[in-house]
Amino acid sequence: MKPLRVAGNVAELPSTVFGARSLMWWATLGMMVIEGWTLALLVVSYLYLRQDFASWPPLRTPHPSLVVPTTNLVLMFVSCVPAYMSARSAKQFDTVRVRRWLVVFSIIVVAITVVRWWELWALNTRWDTNAYGSAAWTIVGLHTTLLALDVADTVGLTLLFFIRELPAKMYTDTNDNSFYWYFSVAVWIPIYLIVYVGPRIF
Amino acid sequence: MTSSQREPMLPAETTLSEEEVAREAAALDRVWAGRPGFWGWLTAVDHKSIGKRYLVTTFAMFLAGGILAAFMRTQLMRPENTVLGPDRYNQVFTVHGTTMMFLFAVPVMTAMGIYFVPLMVGARNIAFPRANAFGYWTYFVGVVFLYVSLIANTGPDTGWFAYVPLSGPQYSPGHRVDVWAQLVTFTEIAALIAAVNVIVTVFKLRSPGMSLNRLPLFVWAQLVVSFMIVFAMPAVAAGSTLMLGLDRTVNSHWFNPAEGGDALLWQHIFWFFGHPEVYIIFLPALGFITPIVETFARRKVFGYTALVMSNITTAFFAFGLWVHHMFATPIPELGQSLFTAASMVIAIPTGVQIFCWLATLWAGRAELRVPLLFVLGFIFTFVIGGISGVMLASVAFDKQAHDTFFVVAHLHYVLLGGGVMPLFGAFYFWFPKITGRMLDETLGKLHFWLFVIGVNVTFFPMHVLGLEGMPRRVYTYLASTGWGSLNLVATLGAYTIALSVIVFLVNAIRSWWGGEVAGANPWNSSGLEWATTSPPPPYNFVHVPVTTSRHPLWDTTVELPVLSGLRTDRREVLVTTTFDARPDYRHEDPAPSIWPLYLALCMGLTFIGGIFSPYLVVVGLALTLPGLFGLAWQSITNHRGPDHVDAPQALAETA
Repeated sequence: MKPLRVAGNVAELPSTVFGARSLMWWATLGMMVIEGWTLALLVVSYLYLRQDFASWPPLRTPHPSLVVPTTNLVLMFVSCVPAYMSARSAKQFDTVRVRRWLVVFSIIVVAITVVRWWELWALNTRWDTNAYGSAAWTIVGLHTTLLALDVADTVGLTLLFFIRELPAKMYTDTNDNSFYWYFSVAVWIPIYLIVYVGPRIF
Repeated sequence: MTSSQREPMLPAETTLSEEEVAREAAALDRVWAGRPGFWGWLTAVDHKSIGKRYLVTTFAMFLAGGILAAFMRTQLMRPENTVLGPDRYNQVFTVHGTTMMFLFAVPVMTAMGIYFVPLMVGARNIAFPRANAFGYWTYFVGVVFLYVSLIANTGPDTGWFAYVPLSGPQYSPGHRVDVWAQLVTFTEIAALIAAVNVIVTVFKLRSPGMSLNRLPLFVWAQLVVSFMIVFAMPAVAAGSTLMLGLDRTVNSHWFNPAEGGDALLWQHIFWFFGHPEVYIIFLPALGFITPIVETFARRKVFGYTALVMSNITTAFFAFGLWVHHMFATPIPELGQSLFTAASMVIAIPTGVQIFCWLATLWAGRAELRVPLLFVLGFIFTFVIGGISGVMLASVAFDKQAHDTFFVVAHLHYVLLGGGVMPLFGAFYFWFPKITGRMLDETLGKLHFWLFVIGVNVTFFPMHVLGLEGMPRRVYTYLASTGWGSLNLVATLGAYTIALSVIVFLVNAIRSWWGGEVAGANPWNSSGLEWATTSPPPPYNFVHVPVTTSRHPLWDTTVELPVLSGLRTDRREVLVTTTFDARPDYRHEDPAPSIWPLYLALCMGLTFIGGIFSPYLVVVGLALTLPGLFGLAWQSITNHRGPDHVDAPQALAETA
């Protein structure tokens, strides 16, 4: 092997960074792309099936209700506040505020996931009624798995912050947890418009 | 952080003595060593350990798929043969195709990336080692699941692309197709994890100085293919795991025309994945070729930029070809013309690459060692497959040849010529790096000639059989068809391929135990993977290499520049900036862990259980939670502080 020549030293570099500099941020982004693309393909398939029907929803299938889905959409927008505040507190390494905002964030994420149950039934059809019902249930159901992951991540992180003092990288994880939540909310907006509002338009 | 926990500052431009390197290596050996024994094997997170077991398992799948192929060829070697009945034959050809596509070809290519990308970019490990281990175990659960099902006479039997309505609940009751749908789930999860891992490793763990225009072409191919996996695999996830799986288990109607479903939707969604899949296999193989050609031509490759652009262009076009699998369905004529044109255009970037390699060989002094022989075998065989591909791109011809043995001939020429031949070349080329031993050259040449002859004798007659009208996927035929002689020739060719693979196996096993010792760089090659010992230590490089050119070992004639300063009391890797690869921060790498295996088993329970009862899905997911918590807890308890926070960045972002 060739002899080695030291051209510099990296000992002064930080060991904890936030955002796009951090490896975990990139992993989170990868998950978002994969999940977002899967949802997009399902939505395209939903619209592909639309071509085979004279009316949408099909005859004798009522339109989706809008009250529960719209309420949950508003809740999702509101949830971005604790998400943002927990991330901001994490960047300041302010443990007290991180704990406080994570508790608020956990409560609202769990609430949104619970409301999702009624949101599914607000489709006013079943998955086994016809292809329209199958497509709508599959799309909303897949997004529900994102919410379930958010619940596990946020509640788990909150518990860890109360159990013991955590290393700096967990503050980075708190920031990335919020990053993922913004995605879960953002990707829901077109789904809400297409699956719940769309049948009244097309 | 106290100064004692950091390596003492070395003045820049210091040449390291052998004693200094050995002292650093001894400290790293202690920190990076895996756990001993069987427990250590179960908990390994080193990308080389995972890569090696991926390679061994995928090769075992190549053998298993090959044995099934030998059964099929034996059945077809004469008319009205009785080796396999129609039901068993359906399972055998389905599991053969499924194994070769999902359990061998794609994972073996990602396995090469998992093993070599970190070494080639000068990193100490892959970006997410525990996710990497989880991906392997998930894949392994799929392997066991498929073959246990086949042995239990529950092997899938509707072909490797499982067209509906045949694969739907009405025409395929029972669990055979469920096995296929869930197997695909396991392999897609494993592939997606490997893809994200490779992308982040390439973007964030490159050696300082390795800007994107200095990236080795092997790594470029892996990067491009990883992006293809990210956008192709979700299609089959949506199609098989969700749509087909739900139609079969909870009576949804995605593909049921009686309730407004659409059977053609399956073909669109499957081939939107399935056609890029061919290039997901083919592009990494092209990545193997450049370093082999460079090394044995003793010349830097001709047309680096053209090769990179060809890679990217091929990937782009690969997503615009899927409808050419559906020319026999009622697709509008304009659509047919568009996809015909796209299917022909994609031959251009592939042609550019082949001409670049030929130019490199022409201008160099080619040394005909076994890896280069396989590259030449690739060019010869793949060009035949490429030409039959251009023929099939024509709608009029495709409608004649559709579902005949002509298609079987074409796809095997492309996949064996374009995928497996470069792969064998790569095995011969990088085997010394993985094992520290050389493969035997004489046995290698015997393997090469038997394989090339076998492939052509097996598959060339199938073109003729297809043109004569022999349909694919038939378990027998009548003597009056006149197809007996060519089928016998094809079967003798298949036995020749089997013999060549046995020669390779003997060579590999013999050489692994007692082959010639290789040394760090036995081929005098130029990439960073040859700058470390063979096999490499768990941390790959004692010091982080600095890259100053595309061919670091050829262009740095005296000393290899490196960076010092990573801690030796914990597993630390250097993260660099995305485009310019400037040193950015020191990341703590995770310790060995049992949780990836635990989570993969929970995943297995969730998806396999879901075939039988939705309650088992709930049980599987519930068991997953402690695993996720365990991963996080391990990160916290294994952490060796204190942390060095980039306070200016954190404060700036919250200001």
